Amino acid sequence: MFLDLHTHSVASDDSRAEVGQFARWTGVLRRKGYRIDGFVLTEHRQFDLDKDYSALAKSSGLIILKGSELDTDRGHFLVYGVTEELLSRVDFTVVGLDAAHLVAEADACGAIAVPAHPGRFGIGLYEYVEQGAGLGSISVVERLNGSNRPGEQERADALIESHALRGTGGSDAHLVSAIGACMTSFDNDIADEAELVRELRAGAFRAVRLEDTTQG
Amino acid sequence: MTSDQEIKFDRSLLGVEHPVGTFPVTREMMLAFSRSTGETSPAYVGDGSGSDKIVAPPTFCNIFASSITRPDIKLEFGDIGLFAGQSIEPRAPVAPGDTLTATTKLKDVYAKTGRSGTMVFAVWQTSFANQKGETVALVEESYVRRNRRAQE
Amino acid sequence: MPNSPLYFEDVEMGDEVGPIERSVTTGQVREFVQVWGARSEPSRFTDPDAAKAEGLPGAIVPGAMSMALMSQIITGWSPSMVLRKLDIVFRQTVPHNAPLKLQGIVTDKGVVDGRPQLECDVFMEDAEGTRLVIGKATVTVPARG
Repeated sequence: MFLDLHTHSVASDDSRAEVGQFARWTGVLRRKGYRIDGFVLTEHRQFDLDKDYSALAKSSGLIILKGSELDTDRGHFLVYGVTEELLSRVDFTVVGLDAAHLVAEADACGAIAVPAHPGRFGIGLYEYVEQGAGLGSISVVERLNGSNRPGEQERADALIESHALRGTGGSDAHLVSAIGACMTSFDNDIADEAELVRELRAGAFRAVRLEDTTQG
Repeated sequence: MTSDQEIKFDRSLLGVEHPVGTFPVTREMMLAFSRSTGETSPAYVGDGSGSDKIVAPPTFCNIFASSITRPDIKLEFGDIGLFAGQSIEPRAPVAPGDTLTATTKLKDVYAKTGRSGTMVFAVWQTSFANQKGETVALVEESYVRRNRRAQE
Repeated sequence: MPNSPLYFEDVEMGDEVGPIERSVTTGQVREFVQVWGARSEPSRFTDPDAAKAEGLPGAIVPGAMSMALMSQIITGWSPSMVLRKLDIVFRQTVPHNAPLKLQGIVTDKGVVDGRPQLECDVFMEDAEGTRLVIGKATVTVPARG
C-alpha cells in the first residue's frame, strides 16, 4: 500500500490545506491513474490526541493517521505512533529538542522518530553527521521529500547509502495539490499508527514518487 | 530561546487594537499600483479615457498595510526581518476618492526552525474601513525575524 | 483573459489556471515603492548594496508586490471570477529581472453559504521550478442560469 508519511494541514502554521481537501484531492489523483491509500498528518510541534479522522477516512476509502514533526537540535524529526506516555515525556512545542533524547523516548514508548528531509540545507541531519554527530539508534530516515530543493536529494541519498539506512517518502504537503508527490510503499497493509510503527521497524517498505504508482 | 513561552517581547500588546492611520485613495495611486504590478484587467485600469470608472485591484490595500507604523513589540531575537506570509480578504470595492481607516492588532508570536535556523514569527491583523464604515479589506501579515546567514 | 465569462459548471477539480510568465523589472519595483510612500530609500527593494548589507543575495521584490502578482492568476483567469481571499506564504525571496511563472490549480469546488466557490492552490516558480511563493486563493464564480 502507498502512504504519504509527511503532510501538514492548517493545524500547522504554514499550511493552507484542510484535511478534508486532502482527502478529496486523492480522488483526483486516483482518477488520473495514481495510487494513494492514505496519509499521515504530521503537524509541526504538536499532536492532538482528540482529533479523530475515522469518519473521513471511511467515507473517502483512505487510511488517515496522525503523527507529528518536531524541531530538534539535529533537524526536524517525524514521529509516528505518538502515545500519551510519549507526550508526557517530551514537550512537543519546544524548538531545539535534544534529538537523541527524542529518539530514545520514542523507542521506549512504542513510537519511532524518523529524521525528516535529512538533506535539507541548514537543518538536515546530513549536516550534523558531517560535523561528527552520531546516528544512535536511528535506522530509518526520510529519503524522498516533496519539498526538496536542488541538491538536497543528493545529500539525503548519500547519508542513506553511507550508513545503510532505510528510507521513507512523504510529500511534506502544505498545499492540497502537493499531497502524494512522494510516498512510502509498504509490502504489508497498515490500519493504524501501531501497525505503521511495526512496519517501519520491520523495514519492508521503500520510498516512491507519485509517478511510480501508476496502475498498469 | 527554545519555546514560545521564552520569546522575549511585549506581551501586553497581544490582541489590543491600535488605530494606525487614515489613507486617502486616488485614481493615480490605483493606476500606478496596476502599472507597476503588470495588472491589465479593464476593471482596474479602465479604458484609457480618464473618465471611466475603475476599482482597486484586490490586494491594493497592501500599499497601506505594508507601510503602517505598528507598535514596537520589543522582540529580542534576530537581526533581520522579512515578510513571511499574508492573507488578504477583499470585502468591498475601493474606488478613487475613498478614505480608508485602519486598525491593527498583534495576533500571535511564535518560534520555529527552518532552513534559516531558528526563527520567530509575529502575526498582525489589520482591518481597513472606508468613509462609510464598511470594512473593505482584512489583512493578516506574518513577519519573521532570524539571524542573517554567512552564505547569503 | 477569456472574453466570455467562465461559470461554476465549466470548472473541475484539477483544472489548471495560467500560467502567467513574468519578470519584475527594477523600474517596476521603484514605481511600486513610490506608491507605497513613506519608505526610506535606498532599500533592500531597490538597491543591491542595501539588500546585501541585510544579508540578502540582491534586491528583492516586495512581498506586497508578489501578492499583487499572485492575485493576477485569478483576475487574469476570467472576468467572472471574484477573488474572496488570497492566503500566501513567502518561501524564498523573489529577485528582480528574473523569469517567474505564476500558475494555479483548482483543488476544491462547492457551494458555500449559498455561493458557488472554488479553491485554488497558487504558486510562483523561478526558472528552476523552485516555488518561491505558494498559497491558496478562494474564488466565487457564478453558476449558469
